[in-house]
Amino acid sequence: MLSAILLVIWLYTALPLFYVLVSATKSNNDLFTSFGLWFTSDFRLFENIRGVFSFQGGIFSRWLLNTVVYATTAGIGAALFSTMAGYALAKYDFRGKRLVFAIILGAVMIPQTALVVPLFLLMSKVGMVNTPWAVILPSLVYPPGVFLMRVYADDAIPNELIDAGRVDGAGEFHIFFSLALRLLMPGFATVLILSFVATWNNYFLPLVVLSSAEYFPVTVGLAQWYASATVGSGGGAALFTLVLAGALISVLPVIIAFIVMQRFWQGGLGAGGVKA
Amino acid sequence: MAGLKSRKRRYRVSKGLAPYLFLAPFALLFIAFLIAPMAYAFNLAIYKTTVIAGTKFVGADNFVRALGDPKFWQGVVVLLKFAVIQIPGMVAVALLIALILDSGTVYAKSFFRISFFLPYAVPAVIATLIWGYLYGPAFGPFTQLANYLGLPPPNFLSKDAILPSIANIANWEYTGYQMIIYYAALQAIPQDLEEAASMDGANSFTYAIRVKLPLIAPMIVVTVIFSIIGSLQLFSEPYLLHNLAPLSITNSYTPNYYAYTLAFANQQYNYSAAISFVLGAVTAVISYAFMLIVNRGGRT
Amino acid sequence: MTNDMRREFIQAMLSRRQLLQAAGAAAAAMSGLASSALAEDKVELTMWAWTPNTQSEIDLFTKAFPNISVKLENAGQGPDEYVKLRNAIQAGTGLPDVGQVEFTNIPGFRQLQALLDMGQYGANDVKDKFIDWTWQSASDGEAVYGIPWDSGPMGILYRADVLENHKIEVPKTWAEFSSSSKALSKASPNTYLTNFGGTADGGWVIALLAQAGWKPFELDGTDLKLNLNDAIAKKWAAYWQDLIDANAVGIKTPVWTTDWFTGLDEGTYASWMTGAWGAVFIPQFAKKSNGHWRAAPLPQWEEGKTVSANLGGSTFAVFKTTKHPKEATQLAVFLGSNPEAGKMWSTKQFLFPVQKDLVADPELMGHKYDLYGGQAVNEVFVESAKHVDSSFQYAPFQDYLAGQVQQEISASIGGKGSLSDAFDRLQEGVSAYCSDQGYTVSQG
Repeated sequence: MLSAILLVIWLYTALPLFYVLVSATKSNNDLFTSFGLWFTSDFRLFENIRGVFSFQGGIFSRWLLNTVVYATTAGIGAALFSTMAGYALAKYDFRGKRLVFAIILGAVMIPQTALVVPLFLLMSKVGMVNTPWAVILPSLVYPPGVFLMRVYADDAIPNELIDAGRVDGAGEFHIFFSLALRLLMPGFATVLILSFVATWNNYFLPLVVLSSAEYFPVTVGLAQWYASATVGSGGGAALFTLVLAGALISVLPVIIAFIVMQRFWQGGLGAGGVKA
Repeated sequence: MAGLKSRKRRYRVSKGLAPYLFLAPFALLFIAFLIAPMAYAFNLAIYKTTVIAGTKFVGADNFVRALGDPKFWQGVVVLLKFAVIQIPGMVAVALLIALILDSGTVYAKSFFRISFFLPYAVPAVIATLIWGYLYGPAFGPFTQLANYLGLPPPNFLSKDAILPSIANIANWEYTGYQMIIYYAALQAIPQDLEEAASMDGANSFTYAIRVKLPLIAPMIVVTVIFSIIGSLQLFSEPYLLHNLAPLSITNSYTPNYYAYTLAFANQQYNYSAAISFVLGAVTAVISYAFMLIVNRGGRT
Repeated sequence: MTNDMRREFIQAMLSRRQLLQAAGAAAAAMSGLASSALAEDKVELTMWAWTPNTQSEIDLFTKAFPNISVKLENAGQGPDEYVKLRNAIQAGTGLPDVGQVEFTNIPGFRQLQALLDMGQYGANDVKDKFIDWTWQSASDGEAVYGIPWDSGPMGILYRADVLENHKIEVPKTWAEFSSSSKALSKASPNTYLTNFGGTADGGWVIALLAQAGWKPFELDGTDLKLNLNDAIAKKWAAYWQDLIDANAVGIKTPVWTTDWFTGLDEGTYASWMTGAWGAVFIPQFAKKSNGHWRAAPLPQWEEGKTVSANLGGSTFAVFKTTKHPKEATQLAVFLGSNPEAGKMWSTKQFLFPVQKDLVADPELMGHKYDLYGGQAVNEVFVESAKHVDSSFQYAPFQDYLAGQVQQEISASIGGKGSLSDAFDRLQEGVSAYCSDQGYTVSQG
């Protein structure tokens, strides 16, 4: 019964993805002229994939690599810093704690559109634009992660454990890295995968701060291929099937990252076993 | 040997200093990459620069103008309607999925988890192609189905239907994201609680509703707050649909989209910054109101 | 040693030292000359362009100018690239030496004081190679801000089979176009002679208005005369409103959507009024309609005339921040005016040429396309290119204007009055915007 409900929701989720899959197997001439949700006799998936990797001198591989680097670095960094910050907010009482909360939450309320150009101008001053750091460093800041980890740390780490550690003579950092972090793993993994995908998906920031195609992430690259059909200023190339095939390929690393992170979602405090 | 031990002890951080040190990496990056640009943006908002007239200080003029701008408030109304339609449904479905996956009675959990999460990983430009097709009033699959069945074709992009259509896209994109968070939270609940509850005679459904949900309530509150903030900053979906449904979506459909148009199409950077800050203020009011309501109803 | 011998010795030493010094100085001078000569010759330029495979033309340039190396970047298509350019202008750094700038955006960047006057570096030498209006659109007397690259002279691409099935002649005037549209939609509901591009493409509207003689503004320093809702605009608006009211033109499907692509192939929209680049775009996605398309000149407001308009097209512009104005100008001039490069742009990237010689080249322009049933489509556009009005000016805020045109027209079609009202609102809105931007605005 429950499986049935899940299946229905799954169909809803999968339908648009199915469109991407089916479209990536078509030729451009078939794309808009055949039924969108089923295949045609002209099956071109492998050609399209080959096309994706060979177009423009194989820059897609570079884009894929860039995105993996940006997302992994930012994901791990954001998760680590968010966890440390969340832990501090959950398990310590210190002056300015409420203020810190208010500032972090308040800053999130200003939309990114307002901040990207000032960020660009500030980074320009220190010569950071058009480098990978221009994408990675801002992506290390993941405020939702701080709040999530605060709640998680509150629940998952009993104060007695910390006190016991202190009584034993362990330093604060030792307590965190050796004891608390292990308990925080599911949360840490969650924030990691969330910030990984957020960076993976980020379009606006790299669009503004990068001007060399060699640093683009896949989002900006695919958007550029897509736009090359519609700019109408000459040189228009209908690259839709390439874009769709590229999108299909670009979700694969996310799936892999997800599978890798999955094992961290087991267990809780004193669970007495792994929750399968 | 004794010397070594004492050296180790000297490096231990005091309890009072520790929280600041734990916060430091996040705080430094936060200040550099969020606060600094914000200050710059605020500076933009209190000046006015035109190519012809140069730069001059205008104080609160841009903010006053934003507060009186009908386009801004029309956008806020759109946002409120959107939040009301979109958030409850998304949270409910995400909780449902998370609880089902957590109940241990479903096969292929991994597969489902990844599938539900995938839409979040689809880049925005692809979403345009997908939904442009699915919503296509002339040749989309639902239109074709309707024609086949002899029914009038649905128009997902009409002025009345566009907001639910956008909400649908947002649901599709973010339900998996929410679900992952709830699932991880549910994982933290110790299994012996469940055993104890079943010994008390509670079935899994009651257990889920009466025990699990309240236990992860703080997490739910956090995600709802961020969903509210995210909804009030709605931009990508209307921006992408603008070219698909120009009769239903203007370039000031939401305040964030309006700010984008002002900056990037009109080069009115100063006013755009002011709109963003006023939007931020509106967001703050609504978010804090929500948190007050929640606090009054129980724990944080 | 005798005194004489000592004197001789010293003299010898001195002269040797002098010789050594002279030799040293000469050596230094020569190496300095050589290194400075080499330093002067080796120049590296950065160029931003979004056309595909641009490296081929760059390679041609590097062969002709081996001392100049060019780093090619694709910083984005059209608006994306312009956003980056404007950001870089604000930041003061990060601009390329040469960039692709469409005709419509030259005035905007000129106003930001970002463009180098290439006329001062010899650009005018190649002036006569270009079709007149293309050169005039990017220059101001002796000052040259853009070297024309490609253009989009307009024509009408139509489905010969659909027209034939309904016994419709290719419309030569707008009056014919109107009656044919109505006849077609009456005979076949859900088939339209064309799709109205104004809901999604302000530039399309502006181009057709230009064909009608629209002169929306006069800019004199900071004095701006705006004439957006003049008689010509109203005539144009009334014309299309008539078609919309008679349900004789497609308005439900914006251009560049999947529905629109399908519609073109299915014959739902029997024609597309567009620039020359459109002709090579259709074959890339069409299937069923292969062989059935044809090209013809734009319908005319006055019978017998041959007025055309331009939609699209770009130039090579040099930015003032360049450290090598001379070399950058050389690059721009070469890419735009070199016959071999021009030919390559035409055959490799399918850009419509702007060089007089190329346009007159029968082999280049006479290619017969399968999609068009063997018609040499480019010939239609060559003819069109000869009749583009060179006096039409783009505004320094052209992007904004195109966006507003699209907004107001969509608003009207969506129920907020007629197209004529849209132009009135446009006049009001743009006037307010221009005043806000510091211009002294008056109704022209």
